Amino acid sequence: MMRSLLRAIGERELLLAAALVAAVAVFSVLSPYFMTASNLVTVLRNCNELFLIGLGMTLVLGIGGVDVSVGVVMGLAAIAVGRLLQADAGALAAGLAGPLAGGLIGLLTASVVVLGRIPAIVATLGLFGVYRAAVFLALGGAWLSGLPTDLTQVLGASVFGLPAALPVVVLAYLLVFVAIRYTPFGLYVLAAGNSEAKARLSGIAVRKVQFAAYVVSGLCCGLAATFYIATYRNVAMTVGGTLALEAIAAVIIGGTSILGGRMSLLGTAFGVLLLRILQNGLLLVGVPSLWQPVVTGLLLLAVLGTEAATGRLNLAAASRHLRLPSRSGAAA
Amino acid sequence: MLKTSKILLAAAVVLAASTGLSFAQQKPRVAFVPQIVGIPYFDAMKKGGDEAAKTLGVDFIYQGPVDTNPVDQLQIVQNLINQGVEAISVSVLDASSLAPVVEAAKAKNIKLFTSDSDAPKSGRALYVAQASDQGLGYTIIDEMVKRTGPDAKIGIVSGEATASNLNAWIGFMRERVKEKYPKVTLLDPQYAGGSAERAAQIAGDLMTSNPDLKGIIAVASTTCPGVGQAIETAGKVGQVVGTGYCSPNTARAYLKSGAFGYSVLWDPAELGYLTVWAGQQLIEGKEIPAKTTPEGMSHPVTFDKKTGVLLLGDPAVFTADNVDKFNF
Repeated sequence: MMRSLLRAIGERELLLAAALVAAVAVFSVLSPYFMTASNLVTVLRNCNELFLIGLGMTLVLGIGGVDVSVGVVMGLAAIAVGRLLQADAGALAAGLAGPLAGGLIGLLTASVVVLGRIPAIVATLGLFGVYRAAVFLALGGAWLSGLPTDLTQVLGASVFGLPAALPVVVLAYLLVFVAIRYTPFGLYVLAAGNSEAKARLSGIAVRKVQFAAYVVSGLCCGLAATFYIATYRNVAMTVGGTLALEAIAAVIIGGTSILGGRMSLLGTAFGVLLLRILQNGLLLVGVPSLWQPVVTGLLLLAVLGTEAATGRLNLAAASRHLRLPSRSGAAA
Repeated sequence: MLKTSKILLAAAVVLAASTGLSFAQQKPRVAFVPQIVGIPYFDAMKKGGDEAAKTLGVDFIYQGPVDTNPVDQLQIVQNLINQGVEAISVSVLDASSLAPVVEAAKAKNIKLFTSDSDAPKSGRALYVAQASDQGLGYTIIDEMVKRTGPDAKIGIVSGEATASNLNAWIGFMRERVKEKYPKVTLLDPQYAGGSAERAAQIAGDLMTSNPDLKGIIAVASTTCPGVGQAIETAGKVGQVVGTGYCSPNTARAYLKSGAFGYSVLWDPAELGYLTVWAGQQLIEGKEIPAKTTPEGMSHPVTFDKKTGVLLLGDPAVFTADNVDKFNF
């Protein structure tokens, strides 16, 4: 396990770790409030939703797909969680309603994208509009605000100074990590992402793999919704509007290829941290919040630019990075 | 062949024009384009507009973007112009881009005016103002200083940086502070877009970087829940006074928890009513007197012919004590 973990840490992950250390160092020097326990905990808490949505997005990009509706899926699941809280259903029922609703919507997304054979970007843009209208109808012009604190008491609490939500996020990452490292699923995902046709010729049930990726992504969005409600206790009409692009950005910065066939879970986690630390740190040092999307955008362009320049953003080149485990012969 | 199709085309145009005309003669149409649909505030305006349509005998059209996107909003206005709607009012998202649309409307003899958020230099017919921008900016600062004392540092969380109404209010907040409260420090506004979670993150970061912060003003209604929640999460209820231009329903939970000290707004249903009334006056080509009580309203409104501002009245202050009397 340890060796695999080490093997999972590639150059991109090291580069990101260095960037994180540099950002932390710079902000610590520039603002006396950055390196405080309460601020770091706040940053971690702000990462929760993006950690989870990014986890699902890593798989979706891994199979060569994309999903721009994830933020709104989280919003829909958040409404389910919120309504249950309002109905006094208790923390457990409300908390589980998130992943349940997210998983169901994930099934719908998977059906449209995979079974409908519609290009993912088009299909999920369409679904984005549909889900958005559903949010609109579900809220009926009346936002949820100041929801009961049942969930907040459980998930908003701190354990040894860290947000209680963190172990859940770590567990989710470990589950997916084990699934893609120690079962054929990971190989299938990368193979499907590299070349759908070749993967199919090798006897991989490409459809099933793609379907699974979108459903897992939906589950992640639903779990994120539970944390969202625990933290913010409100759902506005515009809920989750920026999350899809942030998640895609974080995942790509983390080293997962936009073309599929290469992915990194650790990179995604680092990418999310880097985005949130930049947002937090820039505000603390007094940079107007208008400039924050600019910084994120430039970072993304720099990453893609480097990939294009070094030839990594190229399907043929990407396939050489695909490491086949020894049991690959039995994979089919 | 070509000739026949030309004649057919001409006939179709005449037919289309005449049906459009006969429509117009039945009932004048007044449209209102909000900044975003599906939020309680603009829903309340719609209710007021519906009521006015019933009382005054006009058709009321309510259409707006699902996101605070100026381009989408202008497209909707353009569509309404193409449909020949007689009077169109807009709660402007981007004041700089309205002028060409006003020109297009004038060319078709359509009355285009602003309501709720203005574009003063666009050539619009008039502006239906909820309360004067000055009144709103001054009131929120006065009420804040009542609660924090005159020696306070206050943060601002706004929505879109292009929303002209929000920017105007911030301008008058600054003016009031400069003239009346020299010891108050007003931090530069931070922009959260339309996102409640971003507003919460920004408000949290403001409290972190300014431990001596005494108040946070949520300028856009979409930032209200985020700011209220951030104050609760940071455990700063009682130390930091939250407020904003928030509808009573949105602010209620935070007013009752103490995260919000008060909220400043007006009754958007009345604003929607006045908007439709103003549209009807424009269509009928009537002069609006300097002070008048429109049919179906309980109090007088004022009209400044020089600036073209039709003013609803003074802003209202909602607190934990009176918030339950309102539902919007």
